[in-house]
Amino acid sequence: MGNAEKSSSSAENPSLLAGRNWFERLLVSFIAKRTPKCREVVRLLSQSMEVKLPLTTRIKIRIHYLICVWCYRYGQQLQALRKIASSLPEHVDNCCSETLPHSSKERIKQALRETRNE
Amino acid sequence: MISLTGMRHRQEVSKVASGASTGVNPECWVDDHGDCLYRYALLRVRRPEVAEDLVQETLCAAVRTYGKFQGKSSERSWLCSILKNKICDYFRKLGRETSFTDLEFLNDEMSQKFIDQGWNHDLGPADWKAETEVLMDRAEFWETFRDCLSKLPARVGDVFMLREMEEMETAQICQALRISQNNLWVILHRARMALRECLELNWFENKPKLRTDG
Repeated sequence: MGNAEKSSSSAENPSLLAGRNWFERLLVSFIAKRTPKCREVVRLLSQSMEVKLPLTTRIKIRIHYLICVWCYRYGQQLQALRKIASSLPEHVDNCCSETLPHSSKERIKQALRETRNE
Repeated sequence: MISLTGMRHRQEVSKVASGASTGVNPECWVDDHGDCLYRYALLRVRRPEVAEDLVQETLCAAVRTYGKFQGKSSERSWLCSILKNKICDYFRKLGRETSFTDLEFLNDEMSQKFIDQGWNHDLGPADWKAETEVLMDRAEFWETFRDCLSKLPARVGDVFMLREMEEMETAQICQALRISQNNLWVILHRARMALRECLELNWFENKPKLRTDG
């Protein structure tokens, strides 16, 4: 896992069970050994956006969240990313400024007149 | 002369008929929504002439199917959904194979992110501290998001946007782009990872000051 053992690193994992005393440290390493590693968790989280993961995998991820707030945030942020991406088409005027040339507009209008009269 | 008036008369009649039945003038769509549709199309297909064709196809299809438009959604989102279908069709017809060199684009960054399969402590995801809805109301956010999208390798961006913007089913994307499901998952995973990272660096940690006026 790395998260639990490497508490000497500059940024500590601010998770629910961050290993404050000996018991919590024990619990963290117990969970770390029995749930997928972070690198695998983030892969699974992306996959869970496409297919429903098996129940045991989902439970393991939930338990993993107890010791790793980063993976928890990652999961939340993937959901946010999906919401953002699907809303881009309606906000496209905020990020793009290209305009349809006047001649093209006239050509399209002509095509619409023809379609209408079909 | 007679035939000409006859023709004119027929045109008038058909105009009145369709105008009366639909109550709209499709030519106004070009002025009202043309730029918006064009921007979205251009973002997706990158070539102006292709984007223009897609806008035209979209509006022509809208004229033909206007009767089915219930007015449940706004005119713009209705036109947008037709365009989405046209974009999907475009990629289906393109049928290009995704080059796998693109998949290597994140290998280096990925290895930095993790140490012994766990997060590198200094590079773990930050708390974004923001409601997605609030975020999406801010015009500058969309510029950042677009910049992040444009940093993805073209093929990877195509796959991500087909999935998340056109909301195409994964099986259909695999079929259209001739890639396996596993490869699709890998591409999506890496695209998400790169976008998340880019947003965090360029928006959440470097957020432009909130304007007091809202």
